[in-house]
Amino acid sequence: MPLRRILLWLLLACPAALMLEGMASGRDLPMDLLHPSGEMAVRLMVLALLPGPLAEYFGTNALLLGWLSIRRNLGVAAFGYALLHMMIYLVDMGMLSAVLEEFALPAIWTGWLALALMLPPALISFDRAMRRLGRRWAQVQRFVYPVFLLSLLHWMLLDWAWQPALLHLLPLLVAWSLRGAHRDRLQRKLV
Amino acid sequence: MKKPALTAALALALLATPAWADGDVRCKSGPQANWKPLSALNKKAWQEGWTVVKAQVEGDCYELYARTESGQAVEAFFHPVTLQKLIVFRRGKEVFRAKGFTPQ
Repeated sequence: MPLRRILLWLLLACPAALMLEGMASGRDLPMDLLHPSGEMAVRLMVLALLPGPLAEYFGTNALLLGWLSIRRNLGVAAFGYALLHMMIYLVDMGMLSAVLEEFALPAIWTGWLALALMLPPALISFDRAMRRLGRRWAQVQRFVYPVFLLSLLHWMLLDWAWQPALLHLLPLLVAWSLRGAHRDRLQRKLV
Repeated sequence: MKKPALTAALALALLATPAWADGDVRCKSGPQANWKPLSALNKKAWQEGWTVVKAQVEGDCYELYARTESGQAVEAFFHPVTLQKLIVFRRGKEVFRAKGFTPQ
């Protein structure tokens, strides 16, 4: 693995290390780490979703190429934080019966479903699977869209605040509209 | 190499900051001087049969994160002066509201 990639992963692991250390030392309650871990997962998803449409609109420059080249890492890291989020939740709940009992609450099953849908794209995120699966690979990666929306829903239902969710959706809405405008223009040129 | 590292560090710092505070429940409890001590909530929790996970001041309310006897996670707001249980949420779902209480 090249040094750059190792550095990237060290950087991506820092918040997780801090959270685990906080929990192990007793400085942080598990329940206090639910927000940070979940938000990291959502933000990493935003970071993974942004460079695609931006590159389509702005063309590829050095920044966007670099960003695109780490996109898969960002996605896997998002899954890592989602897993951490789930583990913290389980530790916080303490009892399996209590976990099962609240599974049916809308605020909870949206989270579980988002995590479950992250599993297939995360499991095939390595190079060989990518080459092997070809177009199918990209199709599976698109699971991230429902995952992202479910995550925001999970968040809104838990906190009854729509601002944070909207705030995270905003950069993507901008990037998607830019891409949409760009595609429209291309289409008109072709006609 | 310096610049991308710095950008990455900045981005990470931004990533790790919480977006917004939750909890818009208003208890209309008046000046803090008249409030009962937060520790008084322990007795209230005990009466409910709850185990306290965390008790804190949230706006002008006392907020209690607790587990019920069956392990349910509840988030309850108490009036800091009367210590009346005003509203209880379970994973964002309202499960109890005191008669005549409006959270906003």
